[in-house]
Amino acid sequence: MTSADELKQKLPAAVVSTGMQLNKPMAVIKKEELLNAARIVMEMGFDHLSVITGTDYTDRFEVVYNFFSYEKKQNLVLKVITDHDAPEVDSLTSLWKGAEWLERETYDLVGIKFTGHPNLVRILLPDGWVGHPLRKDYDMNTEQFVTMGEDGNDIVSTDGKNLLRRK
Amino acid sequence: MDPITIDTTKIKTAKKKPVTALEKLEDTGLISTVLAAREREGLILFSTIDQIFNWARLSSLWPVTSGLACCAIEMMAVAMAHHDIARFGMEIFRASPRQADLMFVAGTVTKRMAPRVKQLYEMMPDPKWVIAVGSCASTGGPYHESYSVLKGVDLIIPVDVYIPGCPPRPEAWLYGVIQLREKIKNEGYGAKWGLNK
Repeated sequence: MTSADELKQKLPAAVVSTGMQLNKPMAVIKKEELLNAARIVMEMGFDHLSVITGTDYTDRFEVVYNFFSYEKKQNLVLKVITDHDAPEVDSLTSLWKGAEWLERETYDLVGIKFTGHPNLVRILLPDGWVGHPLRKDYDMNTEQFVTMGEDGNDIVSTDGKNLLRRK
Repeated sequence: MDPITIDTTKIKTAKKKPVTALEKLEDTGLISTVLAAREREGLILFSTIDQIFNWARLSSLWPVTSGLACCAIEMMAVAMAHHDIARFGMEIFRASPRQADLMFVAGTVTKRMAPRVKQLYEMMPDPKWVIAVGSCASTGGPYHESYSVLKGVDLIIPVDVYIPGCPPRPEAWLYGVIQLREKIKNEGYGAKWGLNK
């Protein structure tokens, strides 16, 4: 029995389906039951939340959580499906401290909001960047440039007049 | 059978080892327009400011310590004993751009790093040179269609030599350095300030 099936046994109401993802047991979780399922996953011994990913399928977003158990040497993948217009899932920072930066990265690049996150701001791109670049509908034609202000802060603009060489 | 005759006039005599300071200078061949008045006691040299200055500049290029990505690892290999950039008088990687006159743009220039790179370049005193190392710094490389990477560092600062490679081998790196030395050797005095264009 895989750890995904174990999770389904313990919380049958939360698990939509189970399967395998790249040789790792995977379970699709209902959006409302994410925190409950995550709590049980932690009790099952998955002490390490290694990566959080957001995937854009143009009609929906999938948030993928990769867990690892150092004790059992096992992997587990959780997936949550959200709608495309206002993607929002619960934050796991109350359970895994390391989720904070991972969720900030997912917010920065994919634009998924995590309710309950203590400091949900961009982590890689500067503040003021327009759009979330890993979305399918990101505008690749308007190039954005970063310049530095007097105080050293980043200023995002589209003309890049202060940065580029005069031709 | 004809006897072998040796034309003694064609045998070159062994070159005399330079002893005096004048002979040593002539032996280097570096300052080609040296005219010396041998009959005088002292040594009088005639040269051009171009040659003297360029020779001084290319002999001790001091790069600024800045690495942006994996090319910087190759820069460390260039500086180590095996390839030894110290042969060109470049072993002092200055920690301050105010003491440097050469900048290796070694790696990917992201949009967020670009104003910092430009500020580093502007902090360097004239005359200064820039070598763009690797395909990222030259054109954007594999990140050419990325949202966050500048498509070549020459968009923001002037570049003298481009070294292709991903990352370039130390041999290619040294070849780029030699190309820059050739370029400096043929520069006119004040070319960097646009005086004799």
